[in-house]
Amino acid sequence: MTRCVIPILLAVTSCAGAAPRLVELPGKSPLITIRIVFTTGAASDPADKPGLAHLTGDLLGEGGTKDLTYKQVVDAMYPMATSVSVYSDKEMTTFVGATHLDNLDRFYGLMRDMILKPGWRTTDFERLRDDAVNDLRVSLRGNNDEELGKEELYNIIYAGRAYGHEDLGTVAALQKMTLADVQKFYRDRYTQSNVIIGIAGGYPPEFARRIKRDFSSLPAGTPSSAATEPATEPPLSIERNRVTILQKDTRAVAWSFGFPIDVKRGDPDYPALLVAQSYLGQHRESGGVLFQRLRELRGLNYGDYAYIEYFPRGMFRLEPEPNIARLDQIFQIWIRPVEPQNAVFALRGALFELDHLIKNGIPEKKFDEIRQFLPKFVNVLTKTKSAELGYAIDSLYYGIPNYNDYIKNALARLTAEDVNRAVRKHLRADNLEIVAVAGDGNALRSELTGDAPTPIHYIAVKPTAVLEEDKAIERWPLHLRPQDVRILSADSVFEDVGPGLPPATR
Amino acid sequence: MEFRYIAALLLATSSFALAQPKPPQKIFPYSYVQEDLPNGLRLITVPTDFPNIVSLYIVVNTGSRNEIESGKSGFAHLFEHLMFRGSPEYPPDLYQSELSKAGAASNAYTSDDLTAFHTTFSKDDLPRILSMEADRFQHLAYDEPAFRTETLAVLGEYNKNSSSPTARISETLRATAFSTHTYRHTTMGFIKDIEAMPGEYDYSRQFFDRYYRPEYTTIIVAGDVNPKQIRSLVDEGWGAWKRGSYKPEIPAEPPQDGPRTAHIDWPSATLPYIAVAFRGPAYGDDNEETAALDAIARLGFDDNSPLYQKLVIEQQKVDFLRASPPDNLDPELFTIAARVKKPEDLPAVEQQMIATVEGFAANSVDPARLDALKKHLRYSFALGLNNSEAVAGTIARYVALRRTPETINRYYDTYAKLTPADIQSAARKYLIAKNRTEVTLTARGLSK
Repeated sequence: MTRCVIPILLAVTSCAGAAPRLVELPGKSPLITIRIVFTTGAASDPADKPGLAHLTGDLLGEGGTKDLTYKQVVDAMYPMATSVSVYSDKEMTTFVGATHLDNLDRFYGLMRDMILKPGWRTTDFERLRDDAVNDLRVSLRGNNDEELGKEELYNIIYAGRAYGHEDLGTVAALQKMTLADVQKFYRDRYTQSNVIIGIAGGYPPEFARRIKRDFSSLPAGTPSSAATEPATEPPLSIERNRVTILQKDTRAVAWSFGFPIDVKRGDPDYPALLVAQSYLGQHRESGGVLFQRLRELRGLNYGDYAYIEYFPRGMFRLEPEPNIARLDQIFQIWIRPVEPQNAVFALRGALFELDHLIKNGIPEKKFDEIRQFLPKFVNVLTKTKSAELGYAIDSLYYGIPNYNDYIKNALARLTAEDVNRAVRKHLRADNLEIVAVAGDGNALRSELTGDAPTPIHYIAVKPTAVLEEDKAIERWPLHLRPQDVRILSADSVFEDVGPGLPPATR
Repeated sequence: MEFRYIAALLLATSSFALAQPKPPQKIFPYSYVQEDLPNGLRLITVPTDFPNIVSLYIVVNTGSRNEIESGKSGFAHLFEHLMFRGSPEYPPDLYQSELSKAGAASNAYTSDDLTAFHTTFSKDDLPRILSMEADRFQHLAYDEPAFRTETLAVLGEYNKNSSSPTARISETLRATAFSTHTYRHTTMGFIKDIEAMPGEYDYSRQFFDRYYRPEYTTIIVAGDVNPKQIRSLVDEGWGAWKRGSYKPEIPAEPPQDGPRTAHIDWPSATLPYIAVAFRGPAYGDDNEETAALDAIARLGFDDNSPLYQKLVIEQQKVDFLRASPPDNLDPELFTIAARVKKPEDLPAVEQQMIATVEGFAANSVDPARLDALKKHLRYSFALGLNNSEAVAGTIARYVALRRTPETINRYYDTYAKLTPADIQSAARKYLIAKNRTEVTLTARGLSK
């Protein structure tokens, strides 16, 4: 991260150089939130050690301190009802906790020692390495078809690059990883230049000075290069539609598809694409075109949404977590599991709507609605102090003002034509990377690559106009040859060392 | 019952007064206004100190518990979906468009005992949104094709859940532990009933007519609000809603007569799971049983418990362990669940889960641990109420049980007085072999 713009309206008391950056949201509440974000993550994993950043974060968060075992930390936090949770992504690793003001000293002391004086016990390392393997094999690959598809889409799109492996790593790499690897990663990456400290609530003023002083004991370091690496790689191109079918025993077919976009927060077209995302389908909101046309009108599944920023764990969350900022993003459409007989129709339906938006633009009425929706919805996104603090840290990282003001101001100036121009420039309905999680890969491949239409099977009477539109959708060109569709056993992914899956055969 | 509660409260207050200069504060920190309209609709307004945002929860005291007819499981949840199918005045498109303009985050959920519709938005939009909600609760209109299409969205929801073993364990556990009561099925319903839903249009109208009535409904408004203004808006929009007359007869579950077991062969790779459940009591805020079983769940199985430390941290045989106590309107289950790393460890883990609850019956808990737990709960509750949506959402859960936030204060007051002897007697009464149901799940090809 080489940029450091001090955003307006944010109390940032230091910037750049080798001092920890501090983001403050002082207030009156006796609930104090602390977010400590290191701008390092899976994009900084060494090529032969995917999963190292994630395991390092976990071992700090759940490995006790030099003085206290993990059990002693949990016991000490218990009467305060506090804990520190840790999560990591490509460019950030985040430690977050909240406490009542009564317990601030005790809680903060524990949180600080977890990060600055780690326990480094072999048994904790082995437990958390085991957890990572089981999370890959069981929680993600075995028990969550939707997240599996969404994650693999990223791994395939970025294959061979810094983003091109699962944050958790691979089974083979984890099995070879050592405590010494983790300690080295910690020494190299957990530095003053990589830390952003956020505090919110009614904390005493001296607390801000104390936390900054404490974290100044980290090595100075140089700003993490990983954060800038992805942005400096040559742009990715996908020359034609490609499908990866992850086959496993499952009732329905889950789809995710997308492609990289050269737009992130702060870029001129971000607000316009945010409107396009809302139009197609804001996460878990029912007003989007995909939700309305695929689910409400046709009963194809439980929901369908579009994304211009990474949004993991969407099946458990209504709003995104902050502090998973990425300098490279993809555009993605998520089609929730569809009955196999309607699966290809649903994919075609989503492409039909995307193409319709690109060719015809956003209707003025919808544009007006969304322009009213988003500036208010950002208040919902930041409804807790913890979220507000997280967004403030992200804004510092992206070099933008307070997110809510940024969106409100940008939308006030935006026109429908701005949105249409940005959509034409950045979005497309072909040259896509497509991932399916399905039970019968061969049957799905025949439908995808054959010339026959894939009509929807209804159980209710539909208006003529819908049936007419269905005729166009069921024949929507996918331009897929047999060699563009590969079938992999779901059990095979995340096993090997190395950066994600190989690119699909062209 | 009521007398007993008041007497207990008086006793507690006087003894507490001797010990400490200040009486304990109520755990629910906000003042609220609770009032009933003549038609039976209840309104709870909670001004909070979080600016600008308002959170509206509309709770219907109807959940999968109310699905008493055979073949009709899942209808409370289906209705959660159908409520978004519009009315003559607000067809779905217009309803959506108004919500969008308000920047609202809107959703709904269903559980055993309730269906809740929640919307969070900026305060200026409150009159409009309350009026739209009044309209759909009183004038919901959907035709048969729309109904049939919505049943497919429910099937889609079942499908998206079905890749998780925990959904199957929950289904199997209920179907094994209960023979008669409607807690036999999950909120989603039996899959055969979900698949048959498209043919049940007429029944759906009947379900709406029975339960979407003011006497079943509570409106909760929390946030930057004025209770008087809310009352007048609610009078205006909801005052003409007609009271109903239907009262379901929920079948009582006969006492369990011995341990039960079930096993699931899971079709894809997974670590083994085990759930050990015991038939427990109904939620009570005026006796110590609910609080005592909650304490056992936490002291026995939370991250700092001896069993968690042994199985998860030291021996590393288990990577997930948690217990959930019963807190439903009718007697439900005390459930302990674990994910085990190696199938061969299942029997030993099962034995230690059972031994742990038996330990609560045999021995008195350490008063210092109980005190730490009570402290934990008070902070945990306070830390959880960190925005208006959390305040309204917390009340919603309790409204399903007693229709008033006051039950929160009563329940935590009872908890504050809980003794090691109360815990021991709850364990002896409920956590016994006769009441036990166990479900195991392993990857196909592996037996338990």
